Formats: sequence, C-alpha cells, structure tokens
Amino acid sequence: MSVPNDDNTSRHSQLSSHCFGDLLDSIIADIASECHRIARLGLDRNLEDEEEELRLSTQARVRVADPSNSGETNSKYVVDIFGQTHPAVANEIFDCMNCKRSIMAGRFAPHLEKCMGKGRKARLKSTRSGTAAQNRQARGSPVSAYASYSNSTTNVNRVANGTPGPAADEYGEGGFDEP
Amino acid sequence: MGLKFLKIMRASINRPPTPDGDEDPQQELTLQEIINIKLIESGEKEKLKELLRERLIECGWRDEMKALCRAFTKNKGRNNVTVDELVHLITPKGRASVPDSVKAELLQRIRAFLVSAAI
Repeated sequence: MSVPNDDNTSRHSQLSSHCFGDLLDSIIADIASECHRIARLGLDRNLEDEEEELRLSTQARVRVADPSNSGETNSKYVVDIFGQTHPAVANEIFDCMNCKRSIMAGRFAPHLEKCMGKGRKARLKSTRSGTAAQNRQARGSPVSAYASYSNSTTNVNRVANGTPGPAADEYGEGGFDEP
Repeated sequence: MGLKFLKIMRASINRPPTPDGDEDPQQELTLQEIINIKLIESGEKEKLKELLRERLIECGWRDEMKALCRAFTKNKGRNNVTVDELVHLITPKGRASVPDSVKAELLQRIRAFLVSAAI
C-alpha cells in the first residue's frame, strides 16, 4: 500500500478540522441554548433590570424623603402592613396598678416614673399585687387570642401538643374534620 | 403452476432494470459519516467534546461567548431573543477566537484517533 504520506496527512488534516468544527458547533449550540434559557427565565440579573431597579429605588427614596408623606412625627400615621393606622400617641386608657388612676397608655411610662420612682410620695406607697395581677391578665388576653389563632392554623397540619386554651382545641378539631 | 411461474419470470425480464441509484445511496456513507459513527461508537466523541469544553472554560472563551449573548439580549429585550439568533451571533466570533493551543490539542487527538481507527 503505497499511499503517499502527504496525501494521507492532508486528508487527515481535513477530516480532523471538520471533526473539530463539529465539536465546536455542538458546544456553541449548548452555550446559546443556555443563554437563551437564562434570558427567558430572567435568571441573569440583566443590566436592564438593574437599571430598572435603580430607577424604582430612587423613586422610593424620593417618596420617603418627601415631607408630606413621612418623617418622625408623622410615621405613626403611615399605614402599617396590616393596613392599620396608629395615632402618634397611644390613646388606650387604663388604670395604673400603683395609684389606681386612669392613665393614657402613651403617657404611662412618665407617669410610672413619678408614680413609682422618684417622688417621696411614691416611696411611701405599698405595692398592690392583686391589682397588678388583674391588669396583667386584662392586658394579656389579646395576646393569648393571637396565640390561639396561630396555633389553630398550624394545628391543621400537626397534632395539638396540649396547646393551652379551649379555643385552640376547637380550631384544631375543626381542621381535622376533612371528608 | 409452472406456467404462472414462467409468466412471472417473463414479467420480471421485461420489467425495466432497477436504476442503480436506488440501492447505492443507502450504503454509500461519506467518509465523514463513517468517522462520526466510529467516534460515537467508541465513546471518543464524548471524551473529545468534554475535553474541548473544559479547555474553553479554562481560557475564558465560554465567558466571552456568554457576555456576547448577554449584551445582545440586553439590547433586544430578554423575551425577544431566539436560540437561532444567539447561535448565529456566537458562531463566527466563537470559531475565530478559539486559542491556538486548544485547537492544536484537539486536532492532535482527533488525528491520533483517525490513525488508530485506520481510516
């Protein structure tokens, strides 16, 4: 077999180049497909999106800086995530456990200072543990209502582990009543 | 029975001969196709592709191509891009920017395979 080496080499070179081209095309197709997927799914933080986000954030910052919208004094009137607004000073009225006076909640701390701490008159008063317990319960009930609420939603999926309060059990059993 | 057989024979004799083109193309594989088949069957194609992919990642070629795609996508709008467009975008630049060393390494391995496969 006297095939000249040159012929063979050039033929081999041609075939090799062709094969290499095939491999490269295949890899290029993979990359194009992957980039296309990333583009369509928005996985890549596109410069476009970043610019858009920058724009939105500067808008938000302007809105926040706008005095008519917010500020320390008005922040309590801004709607919170539950859609509730709160006045600047808490205006729930209850009785001080120490001096048995009607106090506004927002003024309670300074009142306590005078009532319990600094004054000569305050030191002369004795502690009323009975009324203190009463007030704690009164203020604690809204908290337990929320607790039973959250327990009831989770109890649908979980066995109630002796959670406190009859309300929780009610909700729990209702959840298990699935047809 | 014999008469029928003769009739059939005559019919086949009188029938125009099957043109050669019908049979040969199916058996006539180009050399390229034969090589491809051998590459795939031996598993060498997969190994070569992995080697090429690895080298192209190492030298940053892949990142360049992805950057091209990203720039193109940004200008076009991310939902207006097709795979075809990206392929046509990358192919000429991609083919031109493969480092010589990478290309040489792959060509050498392919040639070695051709020799070993006695092509």
